[in-house]
Amino acid sequence: MTDTTLDTTMTSARQTTLPWKRLLLFSVVLLALLVVPIVIGDQFIAHIFVTIFIFAGLSTAWNIVGGFAGQLSLGHAIFYGIGAYAGIILMNVGITPWLGMFVGAGVAAVVAVAISYPCFRLRGPFFSLATIAFLEVFRVLALHFRELTGGATGLMIPLKIGWEWMVFRDRTPGLLIAFGMLLVTLAVAWWIRSHRLGFYLVATRERESAAQAAGVNTVKVRLIAVAASAALTAMIGTFHAMYLTFIDPSSVFSLTTSIQIAMFALIGGLGTIIGPLIGAIFLVPLSELARGWLGAQALGLHGFVYGAVLVLVVLFMPNGIVGLTSRYLGKSTNKRGVQAESVAATPRLPTKPVIGNDLLVAEHLDKHFGGLHVTRDVSLTLKEGEILGLIGPNGAGKTTVFNMLSGFLKPSSGTVQIRSVDGTMMTPVTPGDFAAVGVGRTFQIVQPFAAMTVEENIMVGAFHRHADVREAREVARETAFRMGLGPWLDAEAQGLTIGGLKRLEVARVMAMKPRILLLDEVMAGINQTDVRRAIDLMLSIRDTGVSIIAIEHVMQAVMSLSDRVVVLSSGQIIAEGKPQDVVRDRQVIEAYLGKDFVHAQA
Amino acid sequence: METFLQVLVNGLMLGALFAIVSVGLTMIFGIVKVVNFAHGEFLMLGMYLVYLFTTKLGIHPLLTSVIVAPLLFVAGVATQRFIIQPLMSARDDHIQIFATVGLSTALINLALLIFGADIANTPPSGLRLPIVIGPVRVLLGQLVILAASILLVIGLQAFLKRTQTGRAIRAVAQNRAAAQLMGINVNRMYMLTFGIGAACVGLAASMVAPLYPTSPNIGTYFVLTAFVVVVLGGLGSLGGAFAGAMIIGLIDSFAGFYIGSDVREVVVFGVFLLILILKPAGLFSDRLNLSHVSP
Repeated sequence: MTDTTLDTTMTSARQTTLPWKRLLLFSVVLLALLVVPIVIGDQFIAHIFVTIFIFAGLSTAWNIVGGFAGQLSLGHAIFYGIGAYAGIILMNVGITPWLGMFVGAGVAAVVAVAISYPCFRLRGPFFSLATIAFLEVFRVLALHFRELTGGATGLMIPLKIGWEWMVFRDRTPGLLIAFGMLLVTLAVAWWIRSHRLGFYLVATRERESAAQAAGVNTVKVRLIAVAASAALTAMIGTFHAMYLTFIDPSSVFSLTTSIQIAMFALIGGLGTIIGPLIGAIFLVPLSELARGWLGAQALGLHGFVYGAVLVLVVLFMPNGIVGLTSRYLGKSTNKRGVQAESVAATPRLPTKPVIGNDLLVAEHLDKHFGGLHVTRDVSLTLKEGEILGLIGPNGAGKTTVFNMLSGFLKPSSGTVQIRSVDGTMMTPVTPGDFAAVGVGRTFQIVQPFAAMTVEENIMVGAFHRHADVREAREVARETAFRMGLGPWLDAEAQGLTIGGLKRLEVARVMAMKPRILLLDEVMAGINQTDVRRAIDLMLSIRDTGVSIIAIEHVMQAVMSLSDRVVVLSSGQIIAEGKPQDVVRDRQVIEAYLGKDFVHAQA
Repeated sequence: METFLQVLVNGLMLGALFAIVSVGLTMIFGIVKVVNFAHGEFLMLGMYLVYLFTTKLGIHPLLTSVIVAPLLFVAGVATQRFIIQPLMSARDDHIQIFATVGLSTALINLALLIFGADIANTPPSGLRLPIVIGPVRVLLGQLVILAASILLVIGLQAFLKRTQTGRAIRAVAQNRAAAQLMGINVNRMYMLTFGIGAACVGLAASMVAPLYPTSPNIGTYFVLTAFVVVVLGGLGSLGGAFAGAMIIGLIDSFAGFYIGSDVREVVVFGVFLLILILKPAGLFSDRLNLSHVSP
């Protein structure tokens, strides 16, 4: 694999852990944000800062869903509104907003899960549209249920002042509370991003199927993210309602607010921890100053600037302000490998394991898409310690079989059973089930998590067995060096060449420590020397007790690797046996080269 | 019975209005594969243009379409060329969503800056004249919209199916790379499509402005329903959009009358969410679709 040069122009705007120096700088900036308005002591300045804290908090909470998980919600005002209404409605019956905000957070989390669950199958703009529709429904319902919400006339908070009611004459306590909420939100966002959940979210965003293959329950992790995000949003909503002292459906359940929340995150830096805060620091004063100084004559001015800035940012700095600074400060995380490295030569154990019991049993697998029969009655077994080669001409249905063996396609009829560690036969259904019983797979068309580094890509696999970040990182590094990806640990996966990406596929699945490995053409397009090394690597993997099914076109590999070969043609198994016998089989030659060739030989 | 008929006719008229606003949206989506969140603002822009031409120059609103539609065509082409085209290769569609959302925000507020928040009424033009057919009443302008929306759908279908340019546009929609290999200038087709989509809204504006007062937020009011219509009809399907518009018009009208006018939006958006979640390809077969879009 000599074709592993890297595109060094790629820069990375992402940071998973804050180094101490940067953390210190960050704390100083945060503290300054709090101290400046208190020192100035001006009511209007204090108001601007409170608004910055609130929107930065809302935006940071949104970013957990919109940035990390990549679900572009334009309905976050729903949760903000739930928090606001919960706070005031409960305050009216004498419950302090300090409790009310947790009630709001709970309701918002439940609502978020309920509306997100059916929406997750929607992609890109459709998810956004659905969230807008939900927002409209909430607004109309809030207008409709007058007894509860006050309808179009809105709700005013009762005149109760003091810390226990979260309402103050002075601006300073408000500043403190808003700042505290921002800190909590930032802490939650940081915690999520730097733990397994965050890696899973980003992996799901980047490539859902690959995340599933790595054992990620993609629905569950996104629901957790949505619930956390909604709860935080609602809590800030409660405080904001107390701060504004008045709410009504159209100002609370507003699409404009939703858009603003998302906008700050994008302008600051989507998916980064401090991006939303930076976005809010830059943009909030703009709108507040326009409102405060220019008043009615500048109606629409700040909105126009917002919109224009958003378009310009999207066009010219899609990574936001954070991306821009890391580009100019030269914080490129890319390191160029000094020399193209290959798969490390692996020492083999002298003995090969004995072939044992049936480990994977597929029976009568049929799959048809409409009228097209892709596979007919495919039955195969993989024994413990065995390498099974799966070959066949293009379009024979090999990858379809793989998809059924890993849960990505449901067979139209037939079963797949896997022997679990304790010896019972299991019938897994989803890709997650398959991963859980120890089936790992690669994809023929490589599916890297493009925006993650090589190390993080492999870590997603490693998390399957190691929940702790440090352990997972250790395993990932080890696997990376074994696969010859050592020099590119910190490079973004999108900078790798195809050879590198193929190795990354294998590395990610190896980090899961599977018992059954499904390899889909991992040797296509690599050179002779490396084929030899890859064969050794696979044999050494097998020697550690992993059983392998490999789809392969490189005959050299098939012949020297496989204990047994299954030949698939037009969706049916036409031959099965030792590799030497199979390649002499008349039917097999016919399938590959056509009848004429067979006749010519005869 | 008479009320029922009236509600039915109101629904169909409302449907025609939704249809004429949605046609351009579905066309842009089906071919450029971009959900244009600023579509409603194009309508708003068109309505202000109609307002200006009628009040300042005294032109009949329907005649203004001769100027407004070409102007919006240019606006659409410019949007595609300078905002969407640079983002076509973006890794994910978030970026495009943000771009059109940003454009929408900018346009609404620009209108607010220039025209203020007050509503702008086009001067009387005879289009609000009621016409009594048997037991039901409709406005002349509504009949114009119905006729125009039908003609527009038929005309666009014919353009896409029968002309060389139309075929090229459909080829681009189905496979961008293959179309490029066949010597089709893909970027020009996208610009043309976006232009036509925007011009459709310009045409719609000349008929909507006499019936509805213009305000900076008028686009938002229409575009949410237009999205519902487009999703219901199957994205990119012109005939589907027309049928979807009629269905939504009827639902809106009947829900408003029999359930309550304040919750009719809940019913409309409820239907939308159900369709989106249960049958995201839309209610109508893919046969009508300009391309095979699977959301």
